[in-house]
Formats: sequence, structure tokens, C-alpha cells
Amino acid sequence: MASEELEENLSELQIGENGEKKPVENDVSDGAVKVSCFTEDLQDVTLHFQIVNFSKQIYAWIGCNSAKLGHLYAAATTRPNNNVSVTSLLGGTSDNTGSSIARRIVLKTGLNVVVACNIPKDSPMLEATAERKLVERLASLGYFRPKEKHSN
Amino acid sequence: METGSNNSLPTQFPVSHKSFSLNIKGNKTDIVICKYDDSFMVMATQIGCMGTILHARKEESVSTDPTFHVAVIFGKRDEPFLVACARQLIEHTSSYGSTRPLVLSLGLKDHSPVINLPSVF
Repeated sequence: MASEELEENLSELQIGENGEKKPVENDVSDGAVKVSCFTEDLQDVTLHFQIVNFSKQIYAWIGCNSAKLGHLYAAATTRPNNNVSVTSLLGGTSDNTGSSIARRIVLKTGLNVVVACNIPKDSPMLEATAERKLVERLASLGYFRPKEKHSN
Repeated sequence: METGSNNSLPTQFPVSHKSFSLNIKGNKTDIVICKYDDSFMVMATQIGCMGTILHARKEESVSTDPTFHVAVIFGKRDEPFLVACARQLIEHTSSYGSTRPLVLSLGLKDHSPVINLPSVF
């Protein structure tokens, strides 16, 4: 029964995280949804990235030295003119760290995007570095559409 | 009936996650569960995108019975059974002693409570 399986999986998740250590970077694919996790060690911070690739959407999480969910943003092209709109879903009301990342990913990929980011505010260089790493990974996954001229 | 599954990979990566597929009433349902430091993220989709996103949290009170706050933060706000689903899940995790809030995304083809939601959870 599906509910029993989900309960079993939840309990396994609780137990599993105390298991042995494995290499940091791993890709888990079940054919339809692909989960990519990787870590970038910078000079003074550690950035963690998690990308969940749905067929019509991308979910990305960026962690800065911690595994907190952080602020959640959604971005997509909207009518008219397919301009990109961003909205804050959880937190992020004043610093908007991560909203610009979400917006530019939509510009580059054309897909709807949900981004979770716990990068501290007033860290534009860190935010730019995180975006660059994320974009590199998305490019390697083949998510970029042909270059078009965008007016910002 | 399970159409595909994979194993959880406990790694040095700080976020534990598990993804698998289930066949629910003929619809292939992809489920991803992530555990962050301060919350759970559960994504269940039949439509290739996250769908409606809900946020559920437990509110501690002085009385013995806990209360829960559930809200739709993105998507359909006129489907009460999605809220009921999130409420059921946060109560389930709370019964195991977890106080972490839950972010639940449901991209379902059929929002009929009789057919789909009890099967999903």
C-alpha cells in the first residue's frame, strides 16, 4: 500500500542519515526525477547545491555553510511579453537573497523555477559565485536553451 | 504498485534525500523527500512539476494538544483536500517527535480526495 511505503521510507530516511559516509557528489536518477547534489568549497565558505529536475520545472536549493532550507522563491515567465516574474514564497521579504538567482535561471532555461537559498544577505559576491556554480551545473545537465536577446 | 525505486544515499552531503516512484491509481507519481536542518521538503508530482506548494508547521502551546498551521504558499488555494493532506502529514511527523515545519508540494492530476489523497499518504 502506498501509504505504508511512504511511512517506511520516512522512517528509513531518519535512520539512513546516520549511516556511513560516502563521496560528497552524487546523482540519483529514477528516470523521471533526477536529484543532483554537490558541494563547492570556497576559501571561507562551503556552498551546498541540490537540484531536482522535473520534466517541466527545476527546484534548486543553495546552502551556505548549513543545511537550512532558507528563503523560498518561485520564478517563471509571465504574460505579457514573457517577462520573468519572481515571488517570495517563504521568508525573503527584505533581503531577497536568491530572488535574482531564480530570475536569471528562468531567463537562461525558460523553465519555471523554485529556488531555496540560505545565503546571508549583504553578500553579493557570494551570491554571484553561487549562481555561477549553479548555472554551470545546469548547463552540464543540458538545461540551457539557445541564446536569445533579452531585455532586462 | 511500485514502478521504480532507488536507494537513499547517506553521504557527506548535509541534506538527506530520497526519491522514488509509485503507481497510484494508474498515475505514475514521483516523490522526493528531503530533510533539511530546519524543515522537511516533500514533493509528490504526477504532472512533471511541483504543482501546489504548502507550508505546515507545528505551533507549540501551553495546552497539551499541539496545534498546526497549514497554508498554501503557491498554487491552488481552493482545494481544501490539499490542505488536509499537508495537515495529515505534519501531524504524522509530529507524532514521531519532530517539530520541523513541512514544505509539501503536490502536483496531482486528480484532486478527488476519495481517489488520490489517501493513496498518496
